[in-house]
Amino acid sequence: MSFSVKTETFDNVAKLTLTGELDSSTAPQLMEEINKVIPQRPSELVMDFEQLDFMASAGLRVIIFAKQKLGTAAKLFMVKPQEQVLETLRMTGLIYSVTIVEHYPE
Amino acid sequence: MNTTTVSGTFTATLDSLGSIRKFISDSGRTLGLDSGKTYKLSLAVDEIATNIINHGYTESGIKNGRIDITVSSDDKVFSVTLEDTAVPFNPLESKIPDEAALSIPLEQRTIGGLGIMLARENVDEFRYHFSKGKNINTFCVNLK
Repeated sequence: MSFSVKTETFDNVAKLTLTGELDSSTAPQLMEEINKVIPQRPSELVMDFEQLDFMASAGLRVIIFAKQKLGTAAKLFMVKPQEQVLETLRMTGLIYSVTIVEHYPE
Repeated sequence: MNTTTVSGTFTATLDSLGSIRKFISDSGRTLGLDSGKTYKLSLAVDEIATNIINHGYTESGIKNGRIDITVSSDDKVFSVTLEDTAVPFNPLESKIPDEAALSIPLEQRTIGGLGIMLARENVDEFRYHFSKGKNINTFCVNLK
């Protein structure tokens, strides 16, 4: 199973592009990237989900961790989550704390 | 009524999660489960398998653990059964977040209970029992 994450930072934005399947075995890779961008205090954290085919609660926990570390001032964007991943965000209430967008910048 | 059954055994390591999901989705596709229900079922199974691996076996110091998976389908119900010999754990006794807890901003949320919630709420029926030293978790999806 494969998972990869690509990180770009520009201005006050950290953009992470996720590809593949995010479960308990691959979530540590995302956590590692999140831990790299947190010290830069981005005001916007963007996660491109278009190529993310699967996400388990291990992925949700990393997202919650990131939001808690960055604080209320930081905005969290999710770009184009697939329908099933979006459903998981709805079911777990994460949808209330993130902005779902078709493109970033909007 | 025709019943089809497929079984597999997986080592209880996180590396097996992808193979477990593939086993569920391949079986689902073969036995006529639509892709939306297959995803939800794979997610539910993934969450319980993760718990079994992390808490049931690894944290309990039990080595060489296995998870036996049986997929079975008839005209009405598609079901998946996970059997393991890890420490007894009943997911039905776990507290899962309610609507109020889920609407709390992420900054103030405690991280927990989401996996069990996803396991229980992504299938039509979730059952657990402990028998002859085994945890038996069963997931059922209505085909119609």
